[in-house]
This record gives sequence, structure tokens and C-alpha cells, in this order.
Amino acid sequence: MSQPVVHIANLNLKYQQKPVLQDLNWTINRYENWLLCGTSGSGKTSLAKAIAGVDHSYGNIKIEFNAQSNLPATVYYVANWFQFKDLEGQSNFYYQQRYNKQSTETTATVKAELESFGKKNALQFNEVDSILAALGFSELKHSTLIQLSSGEHKKLQLVKAIWLKPQLLILDLPYNGLDTLSRQNLNTLLEEISEAGTQLILISNDEELPSCLNRFAVIKEGQLVEISADERTGNEFDTLDQAVPAFLAEATVASSSAEIIKMIDVNVSYGDKRVLKNINWEVKAGEKWVLQGHNGSGKSTLLSLICGDHPQAYANNFHLFGNKRGSGESIWEIKERIGLISPELHWYFDPSATVFQSIMSGFYDSSGLFCDPGYSKKIQTDELVSYFGLDEYKNTLMNELPLGKQRLALLARTIVKNPELLILDEPCQGLDQQQTKHFNRLVDGLCKNGTTLIYVGHFESQLPACIEKRILLENGAVKSVENILENVENEASIENVENFEY
Amino acid sequence: MSNYFNTLPLREQLNQLGVCDFMDSAEFLDGVNVLKGKKLVIVGCGAQGLNQGLNLRDSGLDVSYTLRAAAIEGKRDSWKNATDNNFTVGTYEELIPTADVVINLTPDKQHTAVVTAIMPLMKKGATLLYSHGFNIVEEGMQIRKDITVIMVAPKCPGSEVRAEYVRGFGVPTLIAVHPENDPEGKGLAQAKAYCVGTGGHRAGVLKSSFVAEVKSDLMGEQTILCGLLQTGSILSFDKMVEKGIDAGYASKLVQYGVEVITEALKHGGVTGMMDRLSNPAKIKAFEISEELKNIMRPLFQKHQDDIMSGEFSSTMMADWAAGDKNLLAWRAATGETAFEKTPAGDVKIAEQEYFDNYTLMVAFVRAGVELAFETMVQAGIKPESAYYESLHETPLIANTIARKKLFEMNRVISDTAEYGCYLFDQACKPLLADFMTKVDTDLVGKNFNEGKDGGVDNRTLIAINEALRTHEVEVIGTKLRKAMTAMKSIKTA
Repeated sequence: MSQPVVHIANLNLKYQQKPVLQDLNWTINRYENWLLCGTSGSGKTSLAKAIAGVDHSYGNIKIEFNAQSNLPATVYYVANWFQFKDLEGQSNFYYQQRYNKQSTETTATVKAELESFGKKNALQFNEVDSILAALGFSELKHSTLIQLSSGEHKKLQLVKAIWLKPQLLILDLPYNGLDTLSRQNLNTLLEEISEAGTQLILISNDEELPSCLNRFAVIKEGQLVEISADERTGNEFDTLDQAVPAFLAEATVASSSAEIIKMIDVNVSYGDKRVLKNINWEVKAGEKWVLQGHNGSGKSTLLSLICGDHPQAYANNFHLFGNKRGSGESIWEIKERIGLISPELHWYFDPSATVFQSIMSGFYDSSGLFCDPGYSKKIQTDELVSYFGLDEYKNTLMNELPLGKQRLALLARTIVKNPELLILDEPCQGLDQQQTKHFNRLVDGLCKNGTTLIYVGHFESQLPACIEKRILLENGAVKSVENILENVENEASIENVENFEY
Repeated sequence: MSNYFNTLPLREQLNQLGVCDFMDSAEFLDGVNVLKGKKLVIVGCGAQGLNQGLNLRDSGLDVSYTLRAAAIEGKRDSWKNATDNNFTVGTYEELIPTADVVINLTPDKQHTAVVTAIMPLMKKGATLLYSHGFNIVEEGMQIRKDITVIMVAPKCPGSEVRAEYVRGFGVPTLIAVHPENDPEGKGLAQAKAYCVGTGGHRAGVLKSSFVAEVKSDLMGEQTILCGLLQTGSILSFDKMVEKGIDAGYASKLVQYGVEVITEALKHGGVTGMMDRLSNPAKIKAFEISEELKNIMRPLFQKHQDDIMSGEFSSTMMADWAAGDKNLLAWRAATGETAFEKTPAGDVKIAEQEYFDNYTLMVAFVRAGVELAFETMVQAGIKPESAYYESLHETPLIANTIARKKLFEMNRVISDTAEYGCYLFDQACKPLLADFMTKVDTDLVGKNFNEGKDGGVDNRTLIAINEALRTHEVEVIGTKLRKAMTAMKSIKTA
């Protein structure tokens, strides 16, 4: 029998005074690659950090590296959340800062960042290019870190990890924000490095996983429970499977204009780099759209124009809610009509707000709450707290919650004011499949009363049923605009279009 | 031109120093309406200029930038800042005559030249907006009588002004109308609307005067904000090295310690900062800060007196005229200190360790904040104004030290602040020489609690807590901080 690589005996971990892991035992033998799945808050991330030595642990973790291997004798952890620093070592960035141009560069380029990582770990520079290409990152080499989207930051972390090929690699929710092709390529890369000797611990609730995984586990009541490959479906207690809260279901959503969005030859460029090219797009009140495209196709930039977050909105022929942008409206008048969730909104959200404050801040479109909203709004917020199953966490700070719970709070924030335009940019990141299904059903319910919807999702199987139109971007241009008909007959054609997607 | 303040009778001097009204949020219900459809032209596009302009435009106002022809032709950074964000940019001749409000966001030292150049181009009845009153108060710049002169001064660096706005908040802001230039009586309404445009109305607005702003701003930056942080940092570092503490550790403790310590100050005032110490350390810090206050009080008073009399500004302007001879020499000397030249060591220092091992800095900060505040209030400045220019800004300056030490701090602050800082530092170091001989590593470099049993006398502790909590800077600070509770914490790696 081979020597265990990781041996954990009676590990106890507390998080905010609550025990998370209790006398947990786990042995990882050589050639084993583990999948760790299960509900949000069960302790997956805490366990991963303990193994990676990120957090203090109260128990016994032994890691036996292979002295014969020429791979680095180290545990490398790719977090579900990530930070980057500017040239002065600070990570003090703000929401949508990347769209506000400042002449002085304060962050390193991707190239410089990779060079310093490679040098520090004595890596072969000729190996990195193929990894960059596989993850669709080559063109971003000369971008600065501040310019990257959250999905692109995630990929950069993965590039580093795969380049390093540590003896033990722990990946926490690596697929978040990756498009279909990148996910497939990531799996191929993981299979390759596993072949070369890297052992994996992968934390994920996704379906399409690398074939090299050979052990599966969940954490239940603080203990590790091994399961079989087909047992790993989400079974989180889920309050989302209820009727839409009355105060949202009953209200009809009045649109302030028959035409919500009208873009005429919209362009966005940074220097010579064109990010959006001659976009023409009309969204009429009440329409339900899905916006798709590969990573870097321009989806986030397009949405940032609509949400009042991009300065180049002022330089384009672009109408929002019937008014030309830059005709004297404030971004707060625009945001008032929009319910937005996006990876970046989550990333930059005020971590020191409580769940209750965070949800209520949706009434004011602020990150954190800066005024007293009064009785009726508090009652409505309470209803959503319960609806999303967050009663227990109502007064907990966001940064004390696992990502999945934070995400539920922000979803509640998105809909709390029942806005006329809902922009849901990968709303279900970090949720399991069951929760995603239920949330999408909630979206269907909400949208019955005239709400206009723009939904970004990489997987066809994970879209709300009410979607009727699709816009597909490719390299910054509109590749196609089409109707999706709501009947059984056409379900097959939806499946077909899936191949379309990058 | 002569010093405006000195031309006033005492009655009017006191009157203007005493303008201080913490405004109710109901005063801003009219939003930006007063400025809607008006042409706002910003002179200069540095950090303040760009970020204020981005906010104003996002609030629905018409914003463009004017730069000197050389900056446009040379495509300098200011030109790039404005054009990359899709703003119209033009020369003074092109844009100033069209402006309803001209916003002067150039460095202090250029004010006389800039205002002299733009004033003849301004249309009748237009408004000139400053964010610092030095040019009006100390240099005595006379503005054409048909022009309205106002001030809107966000009390944070430009990047924070933007960061807080995009998350739906703002930064504390000071506004004022120059009584000599309010011919149509519209100054206050315009200042309020501008304040809404930058988001400042959400975080607390203090109505002040040009005079009160200048006299308190100069005092704060010279003493507690920059001067004392510089002196305290250098003395602490030198002491640790003298006592055999590892230089890399000492450098890191000093560079980041002041930021960690004043982060507590930002959230909970002097009380909150002192409460981070153990009881025995708190008593010790209280005692030595009392001693420091007694030693430094005459120096603080001299600075305030020179600011009030105009002695400070005339000395500094003489140095401007001499090509910044003193300023440049002092700047070079600061770059040569051992602290500046020793890189922070690669050691991990936990957050609490910055308090336990750097009790001396806690004492310096408490002494400096209270002294600056007391001295300003004794000179006729109102507590609210004094609070902003002492306690409120200390963490912001500390953040610049954490980034790149004192050289960075002096690069970021205005030339006026930098000049005053060196002036203070020169005088303060010899004053503290005796005091520093008594300081040992228990106060700086090692854990104060080490080898002590932690016991204290109840009555002593109660008396000290009482003294800290009832100080006027704490009473007023509690009220003002409520208006800006949600300020984001500044993070350093």
C-alpha cells in the first residue's frame, strides 16, 4: 500500500465560535484525486485552507511529500475568492474602477505578474504559453491587472497553479465564471498535470469534471463522508422552492418607456484595443433576453454601459429608458430602475454590511446601507430574508458568511425593489444546481408582471424558462440575435445552439 | 496683494473663524438642480480634478476640462486623464468664456498664476470654485466683484472621492462662500448642489468659511497630521535601532504601525485607539502622552500663532520666491534618514502586535490629536472644524506612510503642508531629545505587557478612561462620525 500523502486525524475547526469541523479524519493516498462537494457552509473552504496552511488548525494534519518527485513539494491553494495588489502592495480597489481611466499605471501587467511568479518558483517560461492559449488568455498578456474582469482574474490564478504543478493542488470552485470551452480545456489541463504527478482536491458542485477524479466526499456535520460518483447531487435544504413573495408577485411593473435599451453603433475601446464594435441592439419593455458569449467577448462591458458604470457611455449614441445617455440624467436615476447582480458587484460589495443591510441597500443601489429606510421597506426585506432562508444570518456580516450564502443575500438585494429591468449576470455562481433551478423559477415568477430581463449564463440547461430572445457576442461584436420560442418542439433547437457557445 | 485675514477688524476675523454649521441632510433635498444645464469647467485634471469630474458627470451635470495649451499639446497626463474618459478638453480661451462655474483644482502654488489668467476670460456673473482657501485668505487674491467665489473641499484623496461615490456614498465635505464675493447671493446654493454632485452630502457636510478652512487646515497639516507623524516615526525607528531591535522589523513596525493604529482612531476616536491597549499599557500611554502634551504645547501654540498672524505664509512664500530653497533641502534630508533607507523586513506582524509593540506611537497620536484640537479651539476655531483638520485626517495621512514611508507622504500632500511639516519636524526633534532618552523598548519594539502581571489600580484606570472619553474632541467626534459610519476601511497588505 502506498504511503498517505495527507493524513488528517481528529481535526477540529471553529468559524466565528461555531464548530465547523469536528474530529474530522481524512487520508489521501498517492494517485488519488478527490472531489469535495456539498452544501454551502459545510466547511469545504475551511478544510481546504487548513490543509493549505492558510488558517490555523486545531488538530493534526500531516503532509508527506514525495521526495522522488521533481514536482514542487508544496500545497497550492486556488481560493474561491481572490485578491490582487497594485505596485505598492495595496489591494484597495473599488467597483468598476477598471473602466475609469487614469493615466498612471498602478498595477502590473499580466506578463510582468507571470514573470515574477515564474522567477520566484523557478518555472520554465516556455510552458506557460500553451496554458494561456488553452484558457483563452493569450491576448490579455499586456493588460494590467486592474483591467481584468473577475472571470479573468480567476483564470490567471488557474494559469499560475497549472504552470506550477505542485504535488498537491487544491481548487476551490474553479469553474465559476468560466465559459464552456475554458471549462473543457481546464479539465484537460488538470488531467494532464494529474498524469504528471500532481494530486488534486477539487471543490465544486458542477457536473462536468475532469476524468481523473477517483474519490468523492461531502462534509456532513463536521465529518468527511465518502460517497460514490453518482451520489453527488445537491440536496441542500432549500426555501427558494416556494411561491414568489406576495409583495413582489402582486405588483405590476410599470415600464418608464416602451424602449428600454437602444444602442446604435456603440463602440468602446481602450487605446487601440476595441472591446465593443458597432453594437446595435434594441430591448423593448417586457422582453426577456439571454446574453451570451465567450469569456472576453464583451458581455460585462456591454452591461456596464447599461448600468451607468462605464464612462464611455457618454461618447456613444445610446438610449436608456427612452432618454439619450448624457442628456442630464444621473446614474442614480438609471440604477433606480435596474436590479443588478454580477460577479463584480459581489466582489466589490461592502463586506462589513450585515445580511439585512445588504438586502435593504437594494432599495438605494448602494453597496452598504447609508440611511434609515423606514418600516415598510424593513418588512419587505424581512420577507426576503426568510424567503432566501437567511433568518439565522440576518445580522451576520457578509464577510463572515460562505460565498454561497453571500450570493443568496445579494440575489435578494437584486429583486427587493421589484425593478423594471433585471440584469442577472451569472446570478447563480456559487449556488448548487437545485438552488439554481429554484432561483430561475423565481425569476420566471417575477417576470410575469412586465419586468424586462437580461440574463447572462453559460449553460443552456441553467436558464429561466421565460427567456425568449438571445444575443450572442463574439470578440466584441454581435454575432447573432435570435428568438427562442417557448415550446417543446424547439427544445431540440436550443440544445443545438449550445454548441454554438464558446 | 496683501493677507486678506489681516485686513479684517478683529470682530470680523472672529466672525469668519467662527462659521461652522454641520448641515442637516434636509438642506440638500434640491439635489443638483441649481447647477443643471450649467456649464462646469474644471481647471486641471489631477486626482481631485478627474475624480470630482467623473462624479459630477454621473450626477447629470455638464463637465469639461480646461488645461494650459502646453499640457494639451504635450498630451500630458492631465490631458490623457480627461480625454481617455471622454471629456471635452480645451484651452482657457476656448472654454473659460463659456463657463457658468469655473472649478480651480490646480496645486496651491499655481493659484495666483491660474486665477490671474482665467479671471479676464470669465463671463459676467460666473462662479469661481476653490477647494482650498489659501489663495484668497493668505495671498489676498482679489476676485472681480461680479464673480461669486465658493469653496467645496472633499476631505479625502481623489480616488476615495470616486470610490465612495460609485458605491452610493460620499466623503465628508466642507463648503464655504467668500463674503466679499457673493454678489447675487447664490453662492451657498451652488456650493450645496456641487456637493451633491460629488456625493459629499451623504457623508456629512460642514459649512465653514474660507478663513476658518485655511487657518485650521494649515494648523492640522503642520502639527499632528504630517509634522508629528514624521517626527514620531523617525524617533521611534532610531530608538529601536539604538536598542538593538532588528532594523527590518523596526522599519516595518513604523511604516505600517501608524496606519494600523490610526485605523482604530478613525472608527472609535482617541478612546477607540487607546482601548486597543491592555490596561497597564493604556495607563502608561496616557501618562507619557500627558508628558508629551506638556513638552510640545508651546510649539503647537507657536505654529497656530504664526498661522494666524500670516507669519507662516509670508515665510513660505518667500521660499517659493527663492526657488523652494528650504523646501528642497528639507525634502532631500528626509530622503536620507535611516528609516527611509531601511526597507521593511520580511516579517509578519499581527494587527494587535502593532499596538502592543508600538505603545509610543499611540501616545504620540493621542498627544498630537488632542493638542492640535485644543490649540485650534483656543484660537477661535470651532470644534467641528478643528475635528476635521486633526483627528479625521490623521488616518488618511498615515495611509500614505504605509504605502511608501515619509517620502511618499510628503509627495502626496500639498507643497504647503510639506513645508509646514518640515518646519515642525525641525523644531520638534530637539524638544523631545530629553524625553526620548527615557524611552526603552517596552514602549517601542517589544511587547509592553511582557513580564508584567497585567494588574492595575481600578481608580487610576477609571480616571484615565473618564479623561479620555470626555475630551471635547471625543464628544464632537462621536457626533460627526455617526454621519460617516460607513466609511470603507483602508487596507494594506
